[in-house]
Amino acid sequence: MNRALLLSCALAVSSAAFGDQPQVHVEPPHLQGPLTLAQQTETAAIRDYLESWKSLQTAFDQNQAALLDADFVGTAHDKLTSAIDEQAKLGIHTRYQDRAHNVQIVFYSPDGLSIQLLDTVDYDAQILKGGAVLTSQHVRRRYVVVLTPTQVRWAVRIFQEEPQ
Amino acid sequence: MRGGISFVLGALALAALQASVAAGESMTIPKQVTAGSAFSIQTTGSGPAVLYVAGPGQALSRNVQMGEPASFASGALHQAGHYLAVLVKGSSPVADGSFDVVPANQPAKLSFLAKPSRLPVGLRNGISGSVYVFDAYGNLITTPLPVSFALSTPSGAVQKRVVTTQNGAASTQMDSGAKEGAAKFIAQAGAATSTRVIEQVPGDPCTLQMSVQPSGQQLSVQTAPVRDCSGNAVPDGTIVSFTEKYNGIQSTVDVPIKRGVAQVEMPARPGATISVASGVVAGNEIRWEGGR
Amino acid sequence: MNKGGAVLAAAIFVATAAFVAIGTLHPVASADYFARGRTLLRPSSTPEAAVENLGSEIRLEQWQKAYSSLGNKAEFTENEFVHDLTGYYPSLRTYATVNSVEAHPLHATADTAEVQLILHWSTVVGGFVDTRDLHLVRNGDRWAVDWPLVKRQHVPPQVIPVNYLRWDVIYRGPGDDWGAQDVEAPHVRIVDMHPENRAEGVFVLGELLNEDVVPAFVSVRATLLGKSGATIASEGSFDMIRHTLLPKQVTPFLIRFPNADLSKVTSIRMDPLSVLVPASADPVIEVQNQKYNPAPGASLTGDLVNESGQTVNIAHVLTAFYDKTGQVIWVGGQYVDRALLPQTPVPFEIHVPEDLARRVSGERTITATYGLGDSM
Repeated sequence: MNRALLLSCALAVSSAAFGDQPQVHVEPPHLQGPLTLAQQTETAAIRDYLESWKSLQTAFDQNQAALLDADFVGTAHDKLTSAIDEQAKLGIHTRYQDRAHNVQIVFYSPDGLSIQLLDTVDYDAQILKGGAVLTSQHVRRRYVVVLTPTQVRWAVRIFQEEPQ
Repeated sequence: MRGGISFVLGALALAALQASVAAGESMTIPKQVTAGSAFSIQTTGSGPAVLYVAGPGQALSRNVQMGEPASFASGALHQAGHYLAVLVKGSSPVADGSFDVVPANQPAKLSFLAKPSRLPVGLRNGISGSVYVFDAYGNLITTPLPVSFALSTPSGAVQKRVVTTQNGAASTQMDSGAKEGAAKFIAQAGAATSTRVIEQVPGDPCTLQMSVQPSGQQLSVQTAPVRDCSGNAVPDGTIVSFTEKYNGIQSTVDVPIKRGVAQVEMPARPGATISVASGVVAGNEIRWEGGR
Repeated sequence: MNKGGAVLAAAIFVATAAFVAIGTLHPVASADYFARGRTLLRPSSTPEAAVENLGSEIRLEQWQKAYSSLGNKAEFTENEFVHDLTGYYPSLRTYATVNSVEAHPLHATADTAEVQLILHWSTVVGGFVDTRDLHLVRNGDRWAVDWPLVKRQHVPPQVIPVNYLRWDVIYRGPGDDWGAQDVEAPHVRIVDMHPENRAEGVFVLGELLNEDVVPAFVSVRATLLGKSGATIASEGSFDMIRHTLLPKQVTPFLIRFPNADLSKVTSIRMDPLSVLVPASADPVIEVQNQKYNPAPGASLTGDLVNESGQTVNIAHVLTAFYDKTGQVIWVGGQYVDRALLPQTPVPFEIHVPEDLARRVSGERTITATYGLGDSM
């Protein structure tokens, strides 16, 4: 029981930071392919990608898939929407809080129509039912992300988590 | 505020979980599962419970009798990603854990981005192709895979490249051929193929030559068949501009090529100079001396 | 209601009643005309008055009155008179109204007179001027106008063979099938661009080439940038461009920046836009007899000849004027107010600003055409 309390205190320290801005580290692009990436494009793509995490968090926490519409398209949008619908049917919701990102752009397709980046993300994840937290875990995983341009911004088209 | 509440609830959940472990209630979760494959999670303890599995790709639940395995049939969990699992008895969590779902290694679908869909003949590295390789469930296969690209041009020549994917993506560049027509651009990874059609179109007219014939009160001005520098016929509809200058007076007309040539009637004025151009390409110039 | 409010209300009532009384007793002529249907026209006792009366009736589209007043009305019908003014075929005139009228005496004797009638027409694409030299004959104490009718032109019966050539486009359609191909937008290129600082503002002019093998709907937008890269103004070419460009066709364009000053501009960003559109290669319009008339009153005159068999309802003439180095120094345009019948010349005139006229060394003219049913 004492160990449980100790763990709870440890969780308290990390949870106190819930809602804080994540630390972001951007590595210089390591591109395969002939096309060079303009600094402006790189900045915009990473900015839009990090913003997509915010809408993802809110959408999964509130079970509102429509919040994904601005930041996700295609496969990523469909998969995330489906997951939100499923968890809503089960009466649960999930809370994701990103703590740190280590981002690097690795591919800019020659047609200029897709940017691939890798992101090692530290985040906290919880499953909640009603107001009760069923589980709370700290996760460190690599995300493979593909962004494609929409009319006004870069949107996430592939959003895939994998073991490091 | 939310952080504070979350902390308290998280602490209570952990405390309950610790108590459950002490009571012998637990589950054994595989570390890694291939997307779409069947698997099970073994539980210990007794009594009914609900197993929740949730991640950004899917959310599932199973009613389980503790002490027995919770089974997931083939295709049940198919989205790659990291999943949290929690076993709930009554309203209290009794065991938790996490695992990864990884893509199957068999390519089933390609997203093939080929650009441009139309370009002039004889352009070096003018065609680009990028491929993202997916499994049967639309998961990006990030382990390296060979992708072959082949461009079959209308002349029958085939350009081939094999590129190994990095993080699921591969790209290449090809030259357009010398002959106009539709070229087939094929990408293949394993059994998955995707084809794009690249239209190779003639370039600018290479030499513009016209001739003049009297036609009643007018002059009939007609080009020779208009071709690009590779000998391809410039397509019908391409504009050819004729200009006639005579004593400070000018007549101009933009005529589309029809059936390979551009033809127009212009005023017959002895001493007039007639010139021809198309886009930025200028052709020959003729001085009409009244048929002499 | 307080006392001040009551006084104000009473004052407004009294003032209104006073204005109504004044207006009734001494009405303004135009108000009286519209209120009672009376005419503003004065007796046609002088040649100028007769022409002004006719002009006013044309302006008000009182065709019957105008026709009745003519001295030579026996030579044509009222219908012909109306169509002479509004066009025998649907054209820009059909959608135009007379904005104002001028009468200028040219010559007069005791029984005859010559007066020039200038009709200023207005349309959605700008105005045009119709000038008629009228012959008048005295009849007692009145002057009657002999209307110089421009007769309907008849195209001789004939067969004009046309190898009809047209492009249709099938797009990918809705849906998000990533990586699936779509038709490529046409490749266009600005082949000449030149800013001109004038009293009215900055003009950006140049030429755009469709270097592709498919037709393009084009437009050009220019953005003036200041020292820090800030946008001063952004404008499009609007109608000073031929929007539908066939393969290898070149169009001039002109973009106006009213009240802008070129000395404050450090760079200009040009954004040519092209969209693949269905198009037809016909009709072909020949621009004949182009003659540059130097200053004063510098202009380019010529005739448009419709080489195809279909009537062109509205034609827009665009001319690029070049200096001796071949650089575009001005782009002028004019809408032709009459329909272009097959093989029938229709004149046009494009004016050149006086200060540029001396630098003009050559020109190139193209036309944009619109038929009834086309989308403009």
